[in-house]
Amino acid sequence: MTKVVIDPITRIEGHLRITVEVENGKVKDAWNTCTLFRGFEIFMENIDPRDTWHYAQRICGVCPNPHALNSATAAERAMGVATVPDNARLVRNMLDATQLGYDSILWFYILNAFDYVNVPDILNAKTTDPELMAIQAQVKAQATSGEVNFLSNHYWGHPGYVLSPEANLTLTAHYLQAIDAQQAANQACAVIAGKFPMIMTMAAGGITQLPNEPDVNYYLDRMGIVKEFTENVMWPDLLAVAGAYPELATFGKGVGNFLTWGLLDEKGQLPENRLFPRGGIFGGQLKVEKVDPAEARLYTQHSYYEDDMGKGQKPFDVGQKAIKFDGYPPIDGPDFPTGKYDWTRAARYPSPAGKDVPMEVGPLAEILVAYVSGQKDVVKYVDEVLAAIGMTGKPEVLVSNLGRVAARVVKARINCDYAAQWGMDLLANIKAGDTTCFTEPNLMAEGEGISGYDAPRGALSHYCRVKGGKTVKYAAVPASNWNLAPRDDMGVRGPVEEALVGTPVADPTQPLEILRTVHTFDP
Amino acid sequence: MPDNERPSPVRGLSRRDFLKYSSFLAALIGAGPLGATKVAEAIEAATKFPIVVWSDFQECLGCTIALLQATAPTPAQLILQQISLAYNEAAMAPAGFDAEKSFNQAFDQGAYWVIEGSIPEKIPGSIAIGGKYAGDIAKEFYPKAKGVIAIGSCACFGNVQAHVPNPTGAMGVGAWLRGPGGIPNAQVVNLPRCPGHGDDLVATLIYIIVMGKLPDLDHAGRPLFLYGQTIHDTCERRAHFEAGEFVEQFGDEGSQKRWCFYKVGCKGPATYAPCAINRWNGRTSWCIHAGPCTGCSEDNFWNDFSPLREPLPNIPVPAIQGVSAQNIGLGLAAVTGVGLAAHLVGQTVSGRLFKGGPNGNGESHPQAEKKDGDQK
Ligand code: SF4
Ligand code: SF4
Repeated sequence: MTKVVIDPITRIEGHLRITVEVENGKVKDAWNTCTLFRGFEIFMENIDPRDTWHYAQRICGVCPNPHALNSATAAERAMGVATVPDNARLVRNMLDATQLGYDSILWFYILNAFDYVNVPDILNAKTTDPELMAIQAQVKAQATSGEVNFLSNHYWGHPGYVLSPEANLTLTAHYLQAIDAQQAANQACAVIAGKFPMIMTMAAGGITQLPNEPDVNYYLDRMGIVKEFTENVMWPDLLAVAGAYPELATFGKGVGNFLTWGLLDEKGQLPENRLFPRGGIFGGQLKVEKVDPAEARLYTQHSYYEDDMGKGQKPFDVGQKAIKFDGYPPIDGPDFPTGKYDWTRAARYPSPAGKDVPMEVGPLAEILVAYVSGQKDVVKYVDEVLAAIGMTGKPEVLVSNLGRVAARVVKARINCDYAAQWGMDLLANIKAGDTTCFTEPNLMAEGEGISGYDAPRGALSHYCRVKGGKTVKYAAVPASNWNLAPRDDMGVRGPVEEALVGTPVADPTQPLEILRTVHTFDP
Repeated sequence: MPDNERPSPVRGLSRRDFLKYSSFLAALIGAGPLGATKVAEAIEAATKFPIVVWSDFQECLGCTIALLQATAPTPAQLILQQISLAYNEAAMAPAGFDAEKSFNQAFDQGAYWVIEGSIPEKIPGSIAIGGKYAGDIAKEFYPKAKGVIAIGSCACFGNVQAHVPNPTGAMGVGAWLRGPGGIPNAQVVNLPRCPGHGDDLVATLIYIIVMGKLPDLDHAGRPLFLYGQTIHDTCERRAHFEAGEFVEQFGDEGSQKRWCFYKVGCKGPATYAPCAINRWNGRTSWCIHAGPCTGCSEDNFWNDFSPLREPLPNIPVPAIQGVSAQNIGLGLAAVTGVGLAAHLVGQTVSGRLFKGGPNGNGESHPQAEKKDGDQK
């Protein structure tokens, strides 16, 4: 039995430690510990409900747009605005499209690629392409400078890297192109919303201002670049990596329960009628159940809070934000985490059998729910992936690390296919004389609002209660509360912990496979 | 041999492009036309890549994402041709102990230290890396760093997590270091905005490397060459402010005509930052293109400027001849409100907002008398 601790887990958003117990070359047990706390739910109490979205988008600088959207939606619902003008819906979709485009590229290349692409190995590649040679020369200059850089000290010699030097070089070139492509997506966001990250055009009640025609045209131009990149670079790269690493389909299965609140609103703004529909899958059965963000449950026995922050209550019902932090579990020594070991609360959902169970959220959940519901774009792209890796007719292989990697790219492609349409619809509305984009909420209303709308990394919900022009209760249940949940009060592992169990570890001093499994969740 | 036949010291750039690039950098850091030669010489003289360590404390990663949007130079040029980015948790290959190894090696080899995120003083364990608390890391490595730059409003002032009641006791890096048990007189260059701007960071690093000293800073530790003017001074909607043309409600006719956002909460008149000048996302846009400024480069703006949706109090609106149009009782901190109102009256009368120009001196700074940018 060996204890392996990775802290920090790099190439993620936030701060994470993973502790695993390895036995006979496989992970036998696992614990995740988020090592960052800022207290949003505490300082977001007692603020102007029209401002919550400004605060909320600072929860995550990688995915600020869905936080802004959920926060504005929860607040506007609490203040009596049930739906926003259709132009606001279109602009919100357009902004989410830029978010998804950029985020998928960021994840696939910058956060994930080094798990499969051996960068120093590109020096062995034979090429006559001047651009590729220039990249080789630059990497060589860095590697031979004697100075430590961002590629130093990694397990490049690990036997898990199997691509040829030429494939590594091509993918490294794509890594650099990816930086430009994600910039294009964010420029599309900025022209509508001022900048990215941290947008300026959201508002409780709609948006601050209608984009004009040049804005929309610039948006369409930039999103065209993103679409081309996802189709012509990222998609073939996905198929290449999936083909080269067949073991991706063999581990990382996880808890077998999937949850999505859905995303990208259609006309009418009904949560059950979204481009990626809302739903839950329980016990690995390919059947979609109805779900509702009001029904999320929180547990804190293993989190750094007093028990009344959890105990299986709904987000609106949890008590004071009492913190109970008494240090992290030791890194050295033989002990594994016990008691409280995580800043994340454990989010659970009542299964049809009436038990609160852990749920995996994220693109895989969205794609599975959409696939089972027969969403035609999802079926088309998923079948294409399955065919390319010789698994036609076997969507169940997606319940694995492979599925998580593929689902992100499938989601990005569908998103890019639709972005232009929303832009055109907006221009058509404006031409037809509809310029409304904002409804002033009733600041003095008394009420509650809930919004559930997935972020790029999965289910995200915000809860806002208002009275007398102030928030009196604010809660957020982001994807981390689901995927990076610690054990709950019943002792059941969270999804990342569960997915790590069974992951092979060739060499505990170079735990590359653990990084791969953790990274598939885009933590 | 003519200049443009010599190889460029910056890999991947032609000699001609290198010289163009040097003058661009010189302009960015306010070094003037002579400075261009100096910048070029300094880069040529450098035989090694400057080592940069980027640490994440209490943050949201937005500043890292903003760095990825930098265009001067681009991130790819930066990490392959300009610097050795030794440590950055979002981009680096190694993890865990191996990442820590890079961190230590970088400081041994002489690193500049960029910090994103605040340091919690009340619950020190609310941010830990490799089991070490952020404050302890800051104290241990400050003396080893060649220079410390706080990027983004969290690292500068604590930002959103320092909003009342500041559950974790979040503070800016400089303020924390100069606090009890820290390092007296610790010097940190603040580059606030939320997120911090990648181009500001590059310009400041180049400044320090080329000039061999820290840039002149204002009362809040911000380089004057970047933060010498208000948003309002440089705002493209300023003519509408002067003409009394305001957005009265989001989405109204005034908003479609892109009139002034003052009445729906713009904090531009009280906010010092170069947003209008170097803009965002490859200069595509900036906040006021889309919505009112929130004042994110100012210390304590969440507390002082709330509610963000309401107008700054006591700002004389020109069209109404100096009468405060929106004199509603807001909780704006008196020190900002009063000093600012007096400042603006003077400017409105003289018809000029800022005498010093982009590289002006601290005197024209209305908050110059406010002591230090530290936490209250
Ligand atoms: S300054 Fe803003 S973008 Fe940067 S870490 Fe803080 S909240 Fe995130
Ligand atoms: S108040 Fe704001 S929008 Fe109006 S001119 Fe000043 S900075 Fe610009």
